[in-house]
Amino acid sequence: MNPTLLYRTITGRIAAGFVTLGLGLFLVAVVGAAALRSIGDRIVADLSNLQQTTSLTTDLVSSVFDELQAAERYLATQISSDRDEFAAAAEQVFALQRQLRTVPRLSSDDRQTATQIAEAGAAVQADYALAHILSDLGREPEAERQAALARDASVNLTRLARTLEQSQSALAVSGAANLAATARRREVLLVLALTISLVLASAVTLTTLRAVRIPLARLVTAAERFGGGDLRAVPQSEMPRELELLSGAMESIGARLRPVVGDVVTESNRIALSAGDLSAVSEQLAASSGQVSSAMVSIAAGASRQRENLGRVRSALGHVRTASGENATAAAEVTALGEGVGRLAGGHQTDVLAARQALLNLREVVTATSSQVARLIELAGAIDDFVQLIKRISSQTNLLALNAAIEAARAGEQGRGFAVVAEEVRQLADESAAAAEQVAQTTTAIREQVTEVARTLGGGQVAVSGVTEVAQSAAQGLEDIVRRVAQIESAASRVASVARESRQVVESLDHNVAEAAAASEAHAAAADQVMAATQEQGASTEEMAAAAGDLLQAAEKLRGLVSGFRV
Amino acid sequence: MRLLCVVVAAAAFAACGRDGSSIALGLAGPFSQARGVAMERAARLAVDEINARGGVRGRPLALVIVDDSARPERALRAAQELYGNRATVAVIGHLTSSTTLAASAVYNGGTTPLVAISPSASAPEIGTAGPYTFRICPSDEIHGVQLALWARRQLGATRAAVFYENEEYGRGVRATFAAQFDGVGGVVVESYPYVHDTPDFEPFAAHAMRVAQVDVVMVAGARGDGERLLEALRRESPTTPVVASDGMAGVEAARDLAEGVYVSTAWLPDGTSEETRRFVDAYRRAWGGEVPDHRGAGAYDIVHLLARAIEAVGPNRERIRTYLAGVGQQSPAFDGVTGRTAFDEHGDVIGKPVAIGVVSSGRLVSADGR
Repeated sequence: MNPTLLYRTITGRIAAGFVTLGLGLFLVAVVGAAALRSIGDRIVADLSNLQQTTSLTTDLVSSVFDELQAAERYLATQISSDRDEFAAAAEQVFALQRQLRTVPRLSSDDRQTATQIAEAGAAVQADYALAHILSDLGREPEAERQAALARDASVNLTRLARTLEQSQSALAVSGAANLAATARRREVLLVLALTISLVLASAVTLTTLRAVRIPLARLVTAAERFGGGDLRAVPQSEMPRELELLSGAMESIGARLRPVVGDVVTESNRIALSAGDLSAVSEQLAASSGQVSSAMVSIAAGASRQRENLGRVRSALGHVRTASGENATAAAEVTALGEGVGRLAGGHQTDVLAARQALLNLREVVTATSSQVARLIELAGAIDDFVQLIKRISSQTNLLALNAAIEAARAGEQGRGFAVVAEEVRQLADESAAAAEQVAQTTTAIREQVTEVARTLGGGQVAVSGVTEVAQSAAQGLEDIVRRVAQIESAASRVASVARESRQVVESLDHNVAEAAAASEAHAAAADQVMAATQEQGASTEEMAAAAGDLLQAAEKLRGLVSGFRV
Repeated sequence: MRLLCVVVAAAAFAACGRDGSSIALGLAGPFSQARGVAMERAARLAVDEINARGGVRGRPLALVIVDDSARPERALRAAQELYGNRATVAVIGHLTSSTTLAASAVYNGGTTPLVAISPSASAPEIGTAGPYTFRICPSDEIHGVQLALWARRQLGATRAAVFYENEEYGRGVRATFAAQFDGVGGVVVESYPYVHDTPDFEPFAAHAMRVAQVDVVMVAGARGDGERLLEALRRESPTTPVVASDGMAGVEAARDLAEGVYVSTAWLPDGTSEETRRFVDAYRRAWGGEVPDHRGAGAYDIVHLLARAIEAVGPNRERIRTYLAGVGQQSPAFDGVTGRTAFDEHGDVIGKPVAIGVVSSGRLVSADGR
């Protein structure tokens, strides 16, 4: 795997920190072991040198002593075995000084001393040999002088050997001091290596924490925004792989929520608009009903005035009966009155037709509203589906957070920080689920209210169709009035033409007038009936206006709810 | 310490040098003493010859000459001086066994060991003194053996007195002589150790003639002491034959005193080989009719051998050593004035014979030829 890619995950970073620390510790161990070994080697070499030199110088001094003894003995006794012993000891001294010169790692001063030992050894032997020769030749005083020279030379030889030995001891001592210094240097090196590896590991840890903390804070802010209804995109930035996955999941939640909430907002705006229209139409309808009512009052007033006029016609006819001469004039008066009634009834008929048209309009509006409410119910169903989706994502996020918590627990101490993060994520998922539940409840409430509106609208439709029938019969009543008035007019004209002919005709006329009065009474009763129906229709319309107000209120509430979402 | 740096024929050479800088060879020996004279002169002769024909790899050779007075202590310092000079790529030296052994500790040590080839250090120990210590002459073992056989068989002697300088060389020759002489029916009656520059040998000579009563005298030491010994000996006994190892080479210059003295030597100037004749002629021309000794012949061969090595592998201490160790094996043996030279794995010369010469009218001539 690409190392840069590996470093972009939290586990990769933790591993990098451990590897750095591990390498540092390994380096420290290697340097430490190498230091120990080299110090050990140097101690062994120094000690072996010292041991070799000490042993050689001791042997050398002892051999010189043997040589000296044998030589002196020969001078005193001249026994040839002493000379042989002397020669053997001299050989020994020679061999030892040769070995001494080949001791490895001698300093140049010590090598000079070893060479001087060789020369002094050779001189001691030669001097004694000469002393022996002189002694053999019987030249004792000369021999004695030569022997004295030899003794001086041997003292010199012993001194040189001691010098070499001391020098080696001093070397061993200074070697120990050097070793201590070396050990201190190695110690500093070790501490340095340890510090560097610790600093590197800390740097990796700090960058890891930073790399987790900052994007996590951003994700938490984004999650809070989601919770507050702001569904705008999560800002993308450099972050560890795991957080990138989380951020991606949140972003996909947002991406899927945004269009749905957008639709809901648009639809609720449209419902509010429709409810406003409905309310306005209801008010218009109420106003129209009022006009119908007042028109009916006028009709009723006109009918009673007609009845009174008819009464007055009846008494006038009585007068006609009694005073038939005045009949023609009275009949003309009746004709004029009939014309006035016909005009009045025609005006009323126009008013009733207008009311009827308004009612038909109202029915259309109510029908349209009903279909829109049905669509609203369908939309509420869509919101339900979407809430189910949110719940599913929440539960997946929860599962993801649980897995992360398990991984963090596996990572041990180093994963503790991440475990907190995982717990936060898990809570976030829980909150998302709770929010989804709330949305579901709200949607249910809206649906119930909308269903209520739909029911009310159904009632309104029935009421409106009842009102239409009443208006129909009112219009028929008015047509009857117009017809009757026409009949009255023809009757009056017949009276005017016939009055002059006979009193019997007056009698029948009286009868006709009585009939007209009865019809007028029926007419008034019909007007009363229309007025009652109109009043009933007004009440229904008010009821419908109230329902439209309720619908408007629900639509506003829905709009308030969805306006919290920002897409 | 006296240090002479001699760049030979530098002026004549100026035209041929590629970069002009010379290749330095150390030359260490007792040049203030008679025994060192021929070694120095022959080395200079060889360097002149090589530079005259264009040097080595286009660069002239130069000698860095250091006097060790034949004393181990001074040889140590000389070796340290040569070793410390990075320009020095090889050493011709030292002359005696003691100095060669003492100096070998320096040449074989450190991180840049330096080859030293001795023309005349014959102690047996030289053979194993270190991978960078070479010699071109045969060892004492052969000298001692040849002299013992000569004394016993040619001179008919049975009682010998051995005078030896009490250091590596003298001891080495004495030991091999005594062993061989005993082996062929003779007796070494007395061995007389002496130190270098012993002023008076009268008691030694008196003892040998009167007390030990020997019929042959063997001398293993340097020429100066040897001549004083001869004087004392001739006073006691004018006729007792004297055999001497190559340390005494040059004693012929003492003329009458040395007349009849037998000297074992790796090389004799009256040899009949072409190389010997050419070398002796050139030496005579260069040094006013003087005749070289075996040390001169050895030094002459060593310079030419080193030139061949540097020509082959360049002026590098380690590579020169590797090349020399392969002479006679990886590379052909070197045919020079002292005969055919090949080295064993220790840097010791293989199969070189010694000759017995005799002083006759001031010259050392082949004893066989008389």
